[in-house]
Parts: sequence; structure tokens; C-alpha cells
Amino acid sequence: MKLADDPEVEEFRAQFSAFLDARLPTEAEARERSHSSAHVPDWARRWQRTLFEHGWLLPGQPPEYGGRGATLPQQLAHLEELARRRIYHSFNPQGLGIIAASLLTFGTEEQKTRWAVPILRAEITAALGMSEPEAGSDLASLRTRAVLDGDTFTVNGQKIWTSGAHDADVLLTFVRTDPGAPKHKGISALLIPTAAEGVVRRPFGSIAAEDDHDFNEVFLTDVRVPRENLVGPLNAGWRVANGSLGHERTLLWLSYAERLQDLVRDAGDAGAGQEWYATLLMDLTALRLLGHRQLGPNRNAAEISVLKLLGSEAVQSASLHALEAHGADALAHPARTGPYHHMHHEDFVSSWFERYARSFAGTIAGGTSEIQRNIIAERILGLPR
Amino acid sequence: MEFELDEEQRMLRRTVRETVAKVRPQPEDRQWETYRSLGWLEAPPLELALILEELGYAADPTPFLATATWFAPLTGRLPEGSGTAVFDGVGRYVLEADRADEVALLTKGGVTVVPGADLGAQRVGILDPHVHVAHVDAQALSAGVPDLALTGLAATAVGACRRVLDLVLAHVKQRTQFGQVLGSFQAVKHKAADMHVAVERARALTHFSALTIAEDDPRRTKAAHMAKAAAGECQRLVFRHGLQLFGAMGFTWENELQLHLKRAQACDLLLGTASAHRKALLTA
Ligand SMILES: Cc1cc2nc3c(=O)[nH]c(=O)nc-3n(C[C@H](O)[C@H](O)[C@H](O)COP(=O)(O)OP(=O)(O)OC[C@H]3O[C@@H](n4cnc5c(N)ncnc54)[C@H](O)[C@@H]3O)c2cc1C
Repeated sequence: MKLADDPEVEEFRAQFSAFLDARLPTEAEARERSHSSAHVPDWARRWQRTLFEHGWLLPGQPPEYGGRGATLPQQLAHLEELARRRIYHSFNPQGLGIIAASLLTFGTEEQKTRWAVPILRAEITAALGMSEPEAGSDLASLRTRAVLDGDTFTVNGQKIWTSGAHDADVLLTFVRTDPGAPKHKGISALLIPTAAEGVVRRPFGSIAAEDDHDFNEVFLTDVRVPRENLVGPLNAGWRVANGSLGHERTLLWLSYAERLQDLVRDAGDAGAGQEWYATLLMDLTALRLLGHRQLGPNRNAAEISVLKLLGSEAVQSASLHALEAHGADALAHPARTGPYHHMHHEDFVSSWFERYARSFAGTIAGGTSEIQRNIIAERILGLPR
Repeated sequence: MEFELDEEQRMLRRTVRETVAKVRPQPEDRQWETYRSLGWLEAPPLELALILEELGYAADPTPFLATATWFAPLTGRLPEGSGTAVFDGVGRYVLEADRADEVALLTKGGVTVVPGADLGAQRVGILDPHVHVAHVDAQALSAGVPDLALTGLAATAVGACRRVLDLVLAHVKQRTQFGQVLGSFQAVKHKAADMHVAVERARALTHFSALTIAEDDPRRTKAAHMAKAAAGECQRLVFRHGLQLFGAMGFTWENELQLHLKRAQACDLLLGTASAHRKALLTA
């Protein structure tokens, strides 16, 4: 245990920092805002491509996939540096962090070239089609059906909550390919281009605004998908799904740390002398410490649930305190509650009310807090399933 | 930052765990002699936190905590025999003050050490049968709590909380009601999960505090407040869920759960509760 970073992490951070100083888009270039998690303005596509070409997009990957073979502590330093400077490296976070990353793990060489690299280079964007109206926490009960006939799947069913689908070029979907098998064993992962005939996307508003369009319903009717779009073996989709959610999950806690850090900054006045503000500082410190512990060799996958639960609940609780501390003023909307930064699209025009409401994304999406507690109880503490 | 115990630290923890389990049933002075002879009192801050967590796990009755984390940081040395210190400016509920061989007093004129026998401290009865506290009547006391004293109480509380959680887990895995083990009820699982997260959070902040003391990092006082506050918050949750999940069995003298609940609670109440340290953090 030691407080200082290793010299090779420091060196790496300094290199990246120098790169950012030299290459960051200016405020004038970056004027157009992204309006969904798969809508990437042209300047942001160029920015992501620049990162890709210099090996600063996913530094843990080899150079052909936008990286430089960085170690886990170096990857953490990369994300910390981005967070510290309030920079998004991609405006299609699921495309980069989940879909491209899954393709790099489970895809064929052709799929990597055909889909992963264009997503990484921001030539196309991608969305994640897991949840269905009847399959939320119980994802394995999903019913969207894909029937293989020769070299073509025919897909019928419906996805929901598919963030950014209306702006995405391709969906990574999870579909039922063997209805006779036990539910975890009959699922496959399939790439479906959104331009394919029979794909209908209907965006709808979020809790924040009727026209805040990120959520989508996606209707799939007799969609024909070539077999080469199957990711991983047939009926091995559950493994891909766990990999997808597992991807970058080792460092997922950082997004909560970043939000807590934002709250430390933005709620400082309201929190002056308040015990909840001390709790916020403690939660942030504890999350970072436990996150760093995940970098070592004694990593345990279930511990990621501890980080997600701690981080997302801490964000929610501090957001509520900040909301209450502002009293009726917290109702004003839109309101400026954080500093503007042209490379970062969150918070600065969100009211405290909206920030609190949005904090529920953390405790619901990607496995709810209740599901995390189940995992901790069963896989860490050994209570019966 | 590297935040994993290294091989030596893990080995130390294993050794301490085994030794304490073996020695704990012996008479108290034998336990104390063993710990002294093993050189544990001289351990640097992080190693000391690991040792104290294990002693907290075992509801240690010896003057180890006061000697290593009250007397030593105030005087910069170990006492002849056992030691404690008065540094709260008041002299109430001082650990071991009625029986320590040497007592360090933080006074307006600096630190003075007096033989415990000359102090005439009055032991105060408290609910935890193994925690010795006494009131000290001395003049011109001054306040200045060492960071290590807070870390020490935090580490002890984390150990006690971990023990409560372990006892609860063993209990709910074994006891059956409604034809199922208690641990299969989700209301029980979720309480256990929350206890685990609270222990992990408090332990991380305690190790951080010890590490900042070891490296004399400028954040050390803040880190000590965080550790003490987090340990206090942790014991609050662990006490409530732990006793509740045991049912009436936890309400008895015979069941050892009570010892560990009391130890955890005492650690919070001594030298300021979680709330006091949250406030202190904001001005540190
Ligand atoms: C902002 C946001 C973005 C999203 N983006 C996407 C996306 O891009 N792609 C995608 O596929 N999905 C997406 N989702 C969907 C997300 O994955 C699901 O919301 C999540 O899996 C929970 O499912 P559900 O909403 O159907 O809730 P449900 O599963 O119906 O749960 C409702 C409540 O019941 C509780 N509950 C359920 N099962 C249990 C249990 N076993 N034990 C105890 N409690 C239980 C839950 O914890 C929750 O409190 C997104 C969700 C949000 C909020």
C-alpha cells in the first residue's frame, strides 16, 4: 500500500495530459451539442478519431484498436485525467464502452474490422438492445425471437429503454434462439443495423423533459439479419451479455466518483458546515480507495457490485441533500448548477431537481441496487440463492 | 496510489488472527504479555491498524489500544508496561486510566508523564465489561487528540463490526423458520449486504488514515476524522441490523454477540461520535 502512483503511471498521465493540452478541440469548434447518447456531432467524431489514431481512446487495447497496451492503473489514470478536465472521450458511451469492447472480446476478425473499428473511429454509432417490456432485471427471460434459416436470422420482438437507438447505426441485441433450452442457454447476441427493413424506433421522453429523447422502443418485425452478425457462438449470448456488462466494469465506479466530485464542487456553498457534505467527501474517498483495490491481483468480480451500490447510492443521497439545501430555489428549471465545459455535456444547465431525478439512472440502469444487494449477499457473503 | 495489502501485510494479518484466536481464552495478563513479547506495540501505523482490527474482532480486554494509540503518539515512545494518555482537555472516560503503568497528560505546559498509581483515577462502570475507562482529576489539561488515537478506535470498531457480521451470517445460514433458512429471505440478505458495504467503506477509510499517518501526508487529520466517522456510521448500521437479525438470542447475556455490539458502540462514543467527526472534517 502506498499513496503515490508508480512512476510509469505518472509518466503515462503526463504524456496524456500533454496530448490533451495540444489537441483538445476549442470551444468554438465544439459548439454543437450532442442530444442523445448515440448522436455524435461532427467535431466530436473528429475528436474521437484523433484519440483513436494516437492510441488514447481505449489505452488498454492494442494500437489497431485505439490503444497502447496500457496497464489497468494506467487506464485508470487516463479516465481520471479525462474526468478531472471534464472531457468526454466519446459521445457514444455504450458504443465505445460496451458494444465495441464486446466485439473486441467476442467478435470474429471480420466483425472487429467491419463493426468495432468504425464504432471506435466514430464513423458509426451503436446502441445496446438488452431490456424488453417483460425483461428488466430478469434479463434472461427476454423473448425477442430470432429464427435461423440457412444463413439468415429472422427476428421478431421488441426492445425498450434502448438509449440512443434513434441516432444509432447499429444495435447489439440479445435474442432468443433456442426457446426449448433453459432460459440462460437459449440466448444469442446479434448485431442489427438500424437501417434494416422491419426495424422501427420510437424515441420517447425521459423524466427530465418530454423532448429529452434518449430512451427508445425498438420494434423488430421480420427483420432479416445475416448469420455473420452473430456475436460469439449460437446460444452463448448470456456469456456475451455478462461480458458486455462486465466490460470496463472494473472501472465503472469512476463514473460515480466523477459525479460525486461534481457534487463536491457544485454543492460546496449549500453544503458548507453540513454533515451530509462531510458524508459526500467520505463516500467519494471510500469509493476511490475501494476502486483502487480492484486494480490489484486479488480482484473479485462480485466486488464490483459493492462499488456500484456504494457509488450510485452516494450520488443519489448527496443529490437529494443538495436539492433540499436549495429549498424552493431548487425548482427553477433550467438552472445553472455547474460550470460550463464544452467537452462535457452534463449538469451545467440541469436544475438540482433534475440532477436528483437523474441520479436514479445510477440506481436502476445496469442492474438495480436491489440486484446488487442480492449479488453481494449471495456471491460474497454466501447466503443461499 | 496502491491500495492493496502486500504479501507481508497479509501474512501479518493471518498470523495475528491465528494468534489472537489462540491466546484470547487465556487470562488477561497472559494475553497482554504475549502481544507485548511479539512486538506488536511497535508496529507502524498500517500494520497497527491490521492488528487492532483483529483485536477488535476478538473483543480484546488488554490495554493494547490505549498503549499503542494513546500513550505512544503523545510521548513518542512506548511505556514501561502499559500506558494511556489524557488529551481531551477534560479527563473523562479515559481508556485504562485506572490501571495503566504510565499516563501521559497533555497540559497547557506540554506533555508530562506520571505513574498511573499516583493519578488516583476512578474507574467508571460501563456496559461493555471488557473496556476499562476512568475519570482523571488533573489540572491545566489541554486538548489535542492524536490522529492515531482516532484511527485506532476506528480499526477496533471495524473489527468488532466484522465480528458481528460474521456471527449474523453464521446464524442466518443455520437457523430455519417457515421451512427456510433465514438467510434465504431477501429482507435478511439486503441487511447483510448493507452491513458488508458499511464495513468495507469504514475499513478502507481506516486503512487510508493509517497510510496517511505512516507517510505523514498532509491529509492525515482529515483522514483520521473520516475513519472515525465512517467506523461510527458502520457500527450504527451493524448494531441495528445485527441485533435485529439475531432475534431474542441476541438479546441475551450468554450469546457473545452482545460483547461485540458493545465494543463497536463504545468505540463510537469515545473521543467523539460519527456526527462530531463529520463536523470536524469540514473544518480540519
Ligand atoms: C437511464 C436508463 C438508461 C437505460 N439504457 C438502457 C439501454 O441502453 N439498453 C437496455 O437494454 N436497457 C437500458 N436500460 C434499462 C435497464 O437496464 C433496466 O431498467 C434495468 O435492468 C431494470 O429493469 P426494469 O426497469 O424493468 O425494472 P424491474 O426489473 O421491473 O424492477 C423494478 C423494481 O423491482 C426490483 N426488483 C426486480 N427484481 C428484483 C429481485 N429479484 N429482487 C429484489 N428486487 C427486485 C428492482 O430492483 C426495481 O426496484 C436503461 C435504464 C435507464 C434507467
